Amino acid sequence: MHINWFVFLAQIFNFLLLMYLLKRLLYGRIIKAMDDREANIAARFAEAEELKVKANEEAELYEKRNQLLNETKDRMLNEATMAADAKRKELMEKVRVEVDQVKIRWQDMLSREQDAFFYDLRQRAAKELYATARKALRDLADADLEERIVDEFLRRVKALDEEKSVQMRKAISGGGNRVTIQSAFGIPALRRTQIEETLKKQITNGFTINYLQQPEIVSGIEMRVNGHKIAWSLNEYLETLVENLTETLQKEAHAA
Amino acid sequence: MEVVSLNQISPDQVIIWSWWFITINVTMLYTWLVMAILVVGSWLVTRNLSTEMNASRWQHFLEVIISIIRNEIREMTKRGADSYIPLVGTLFLFICVSNVLVIVPGFVAPTSSITTTAALATCVFIAVPFYGISRIGFGHYLKEYFQPTFIFFPFHVMGELSRTLALTVRLFGNIMSHEKVIGILLAVTPFLFPVVMQVLGLLIGVIQAYIFAILSMVYIASALSAEDDYPKEVKEEGSTA
Repeated sequence: MHINWFVFLAQIFNFLLLMYLLKRLLYGRIIKAMDDREANIAARFAEAEELKVKANEEAELYEKRNQLLNETKDRMLNEATMAADAKRKELMEKVRVEVDQVKIRWQDMLSREQDAFFYDLRQRAAKELYATARKALRDLADADLEERIVDEFLRRVKALDEEKSVQMRKAISGGGNRVTIQSAFGIPALRRTQIEETLKKQITNGFTINYLQQPEIVSGIEMRVNGHKIAWSLNEYLETLVENLTETLQKEAHAA
Repeated sequence: MEVVSLNQISPDQVIIWSWWFITINVTMLYTWLVMAILVVGSWLVTRNLSTEMNASRWQHFLEVIISIIRNEIREMTKRGADSYIPLVGTLFLFICVSNVLVIVPGFVAPTSSITTTAALATCVFIAVPFYGISRIGFGHYLKEYFQPTFIFFPFHVMGELSRTLALTVRLFGNIMSHEKVIGILLAVTPFLFPVVMQVLGLLIGVIQAYIFAILSMVYIASALSAEDDYPKEVKEEGSTA
């Protein structure tokens, strides 16, 4: 075995040539590609880390904002709730006041209507009673009801006790010695004379009588002297009737 | 059985063309073939390299090989691995491809020629002082040959020569002998057993390539080890002065 020195040198040259070519075509490029990839990956990691830090900061920021928003929302909700409650109370109070006012007005109106109704009823009843009584008295006793009323008035004057008489006398003298006799009907002259005599005899002399005809005094006669009064009227009975009737109507209204 | 002479067992003896002292034999032909495969393959793979994740399979394959070589060198030299990759990587790839292509019928590995292995070992023999001097300077490199005393200079020179010879003969002996063993086995026990030996031969070929490259790197690294001692010596000299 021997070594061919030309082949030996040629193989050295071949190896050096191969080394050069591989350095150009393989190692340099592959190493550069690997280094670039590593740098690329490192850059991506760095970028990802940076993005992560930014994302964390953003998340923290948004968390704070969210918390602030929640707090603001809760506060606004509480304020709105409180304002709504206050407004509701105010409106309720206003409505209550209005309802009370309406109720009062309605009650007033009802009361007025009731009063008007009973007044009217009383008037009608009195007139009816008056007409009925007069017709009955006329039919039964053959006497005029007005006469009976005057008689009853005279009877009451005569039935005055001493104390009452004194009061009336003082009243007449305090009122300028003027006496007003009101009646629902016209009093004949004869009966006027009887009244005047009875009064003078029972109470005092020296006064003048003024007769007035008032249709409002239903079937009655009354004497007014400075705050004192002697009277007879169907109104007394009618008022009792009206009171009873009112009581009955109210009971029925409550029951309804 | 005919006994063959040593002259007949080397591809160097198969002359294709010859003129004066210029000789083209099979060893050179197959060397060019291996070179062509490596160069063209490298060019095909590296012409469209990707620095992204979507690299080709061949690129990944070459990157794995280069990474392994790079890491091996880095473990031994600790720094500046990329400057040794052309030498060590080319040694490994050339020897490995030459040895693996043995399974192709008709192919004779150039590494079974002592001329080729001697050329490769000579390259390493030259590379060791080249890298050593370029790193630590001629004076300090030469100084290593006289350590611990000048008496050791001839032993250092003999060591250099002997390990170059060892590199040459180790690779040549392993590859050449394996081919001859396969040939003998084919004559003695045909069929199954030579196939198993052929597979074993592939393993041996890769291992021999690895051993040659690693030993080359070890020799270079040993020459570079003085680089670490140099600043230390300067410091000691400075303190004594």
